[in-house]
Amino acid sequence: MHQAIAFRTAYLVVRSAEDAEEVAADAFLKAYRALGRFRRGKPFRPWLLTIVANEARNSLRGAARRQALALRVADQGRPGDAAPSPEAAAIGAERRSRLLEALDRLPDDQRLAVECRFFLELDEAETAAVLGVRRGTAKSRLSRALDRLREEVPEDA
Amino acid sequence: MPDLERELRGLGESIAFPPTPDLAASVRARLPERTSSLWPRRLVLVAAVLGAAVVAGLAIPQARSAILRVFGIGALRVEYVDKLPAVEPRAALDLGPAISAEHAPFRLLESSLLGEPDGVYASGNVVTQLYGSPDRVRLLVTQISGHGLRSDVVKKVVGTTTNTDFVSIAGLSTQALWIEGAPHILSLPNAPDRLAANTLIWIQGNRTMRLEGAETLDEAVEIAQSFQ
Repeated sequence: MHQAIAFRTAYLVVRSAEDAEEVAADAFLKAYRALGRFRRGKPFRPWLLTIVANEARNSLRGAARRQALALRVADQGRPGDAAPSPEAAAIGAERRSRLLEALDRLPDDQRLAVECRFFLELDEAETAAVLGVRRGTAKSRLSRALDRLREEVPEDA
Repeated sequence: MPDLERELRGLGESIAFPPTPDLAASVRARLPERTSSLWPRRLVLVAAVLGAAVVAGLAIPQARSAILRVFGIGALRVEYVDKLPAVEPRAALDLGPAISAEHAPFRLLESSLLGEPDGVYASGNVVTQLYGSPDRVRLLVTQISGHGLRSDVVKKVVGTTTNTDFVSIAGLSTQALWIEGAPHILSLPNAPDRLAANTLIWIQGNRTMRLEGAETLDEAVEIAQSFQ
């Protein structure tokens, strides 16, 4: 149930499918071992994502420079594909690439805040869990990141 | 939604994430070696080697394990020996009959961190809370009421390759004992001796508490502090 979100979270940090698989599997194993310490009644996802993000950061030490995120080629839409959402339709191909490049130039913690919030659609608590910081800190990182993106890729550009 | 946020969401939909692999399979592949139970294969191997050493030892009575040091903590007696005696490496976990917590012979302390155990077992005044299942144990918490047991009733036998440390736990007035590293032997009444994994022992009120299966001292202490 949580496999995709765990894998994608790991992928955003380590940027390699192979490493992300390792990280996510290790994280599930750790979560399984530590399940006894998980407080019942608390949301499970932030707890799991904290473990995933910690594993991912640990595996990054000494690793090579991360790969850039790739855009899907088939965005023009294939027969039978669902119609793109209004959000997807609202952004042209060129602007997409420019935003993605600008995102990649952000400091890692700001970049990850944006990716968690908008690419993985995590809520504030989950984003904070991945970043390993308090909610307030995650929020201010995100807003700094958005300010910078607005500067780098002005909306009328 | 402000335009930029809307655009970022749209951008998110265009990211080519690699397909999510079958993580369940990767996790399963890791399980046997790393979390099978409190008795991973490595420990069984150690036990087999130890068993052989002791069998050899029995032929020459003088070579049998010598007790180097003994002390008590609560209701437990801890013996340090130069060689661990033989135990059945795969001795089944025998915790006594399952009971409901209300039928325990004394009021059990409960952990706010661990929640309700998956099973409660009693053997005399030794009550064990089990987390996990009997054949895949995650944690065992044993509570022994009173300190006035016969000193040989509950016994830990620790070899020279096991580390023991006295540690302080905030909120508890007495020190606790942390046993870690190579497995040690646990002797409980009415159960075969068995090898035990990392264990923290502490005294709380008139109970001797024993937690087996925490991976690190920090984890064990955190759990110990959650018992009330």
